[in-house]
Amino acid sequence: MGMQGDFFQLLKEQGYQLGVAGVVGDGQEFTTATTILAFKYGDGVLVAGDRRATAGNMVMYDRTDKVLEIDRHSVMAIAGVPATAYEMVRILEHSFKYYRRTQLQELSFEGKLRAVSKLLKENVAAALAGTGAVAPIFAGYDFEQETAKIYFYDILGAEFEGVEYAVSGSGSPTIRGILHYLNTWGGQPLSAMSEEQAVIQALRLLTSAAEFDSATGGVNREANLYPVIKFITASGVRTMPDRQLKPLFETKVVRHV
Amino acid sequence: MYEEPYKWVEAVGNRRHYLDEQFKQGSPVVALPYDAGILLLTVSKGTPKLYEIYDRLALGGMGHPADLEKLRFSLLEMAHVEGFNRSPSDVTGSRMVKYGIAPVIKQAFEEVFKAPFIVKILLAELGQKTGKDSFLVINYDGTFDESTHGAVLAASKAIEQEMMTYLREHSSGVSLEQAAGTALRAWALGELAQRRAGEEATEGERDAVGSPMATDDASLYTHLRETVREKTIECALLDRNQQGSSKYRSLTSEELGRFLPKDIKPSLP
Repeated sequence: MGMQGDFFQLLKEQGYQLGVAGVVGDGQEFTTATTILAFKYGDGVLVAGDRRATAGNMVMYDRTDKVLEIDRHSVMAIAGVPATAYEMVRILEHSFKYYRRTQLQELSFEGKLRAVSKLLKENVAAALAGTGAVAPIFAGYDFEQETAKIYFYDILGAEFEGVEYAVSGSGSPTIRGILHYLNTWGGQPLSAMSEEQAVIQALRLLTSAAEFDSATGGVNREANLYPVIKFITASGVRTMPDRQLKPLFETKVVRHV
Repeated sequence: MYEEPYKWVEAVGNRRHYLDEQFKQGSPVVALPYDAGILLLTVSKGTPKLYEIYDRLALGGMGHPADLEKLRFSLLEMAHVEGFNRSPSDVTGSRMVKYGIAPVIKQAFEEVFKAPFIVKILLAELGQKTGKDSFLVINYDGTFDESTHGAVLAASKAIEQEMMTYLREHSSGVSLEQAAGTALRAWALGELAQRRAGEEATEGERDAVGSPMATDDASLYTHLRETVREKTIECALLDRNQQGSSKYRSLTSEELGRFLPKDIKPSLP
């Protein structure tokens, strides 16, 4: 089976099992929750995520990185149980590399999408038990169609294309409406925005989500904490550094009406 | 027939002779450090001989393509499972060789009823810091050598030593361009020496004296011009400046073209 370049299969042959379904005891709270979003702008796709991880009412961590680079041209933003999500990211990272190195060619974009779906399917039992539900956004550059694309998944592994945008996580209902409004009546469609305009909107969207969702972490200027924002274009994945987010946040996001 | 110890020793000896014969026509492989990483180079007839194994590991091979594939896959499996279960920094060339493929190759070599691996392997590992690179060479019998300043594969130990001497003289603190030139000339030197060894063997005693081999740049390039005409120059890097965790990349033919004298033109892309 190794000859097919399937790393996940190789792991399973060695006895590995992803997402074990456990019985959840009463009053037990798992670390979860998030707001992640992705939309197409002028140059490609922007993917953004807040930094907070919570367990019930407790804030577990405020420096979580939920927008993870899988390889030079794809990114997975994670919502749900981070333990499972990080494990999936690690498997995907190794799977894409293993495929490239054994088969001497890159895995196609469609192949990458299938790989995400397969992992989620493998994890259904844990997702339904409540110990491992993950609903990610996968975005990457499709070299066959020469465009960056967005896909989002439900916890069972169904795959949907976000033609213009996609959102996930507990704060997403708030910003889904805003994205629709912006894209339809916002003066210009999201896809016509420059990089700077797109970043401003992403920061405003995440700030709105944090306003209404206690599980989404807003910007914390004292601690110098900003959301994670990445761009996907033909030349690969790029991260917006905090020192560039800071002035944009201060001049364009902090309320000045 | 091998139950008596001396017959087994004899059988292993025959096997050594048989294997030495298999590599006589092979294309040497050169690996050396340059100022931003490691460069690997060989000249092939189409089938690739340089491969990516892991984030900081590259493989060069000589011998039978099917055997090389088999060992390449076991290295890939080992490296990726280990990198996933532990961490990428635990995947080291030394572990892959000493506890991974060297014992397998040795066992195949000594089981005289079965076929041995017709293969010699070079594993280059990019260190976390400059000067911490490592090179491992595994022979067809499972013996291996470790070094820090480059390595080569060729038909015989003697030729490998000649090539290494050449590398040592030309390869301290060099740029990518210089390293590519040195590697190519070292390859030519090895190929030339293999050809001579072949001729001497067929001519036997008749013309054993021969003239000493010319190893100046001009004569090496003359030899190259003739030999690469219907072949591919394969060149790969473990590039410290490469973004992301994977440091391996193949040099494109345009990049390679810029480093080589204009009249050296491989026919295959």
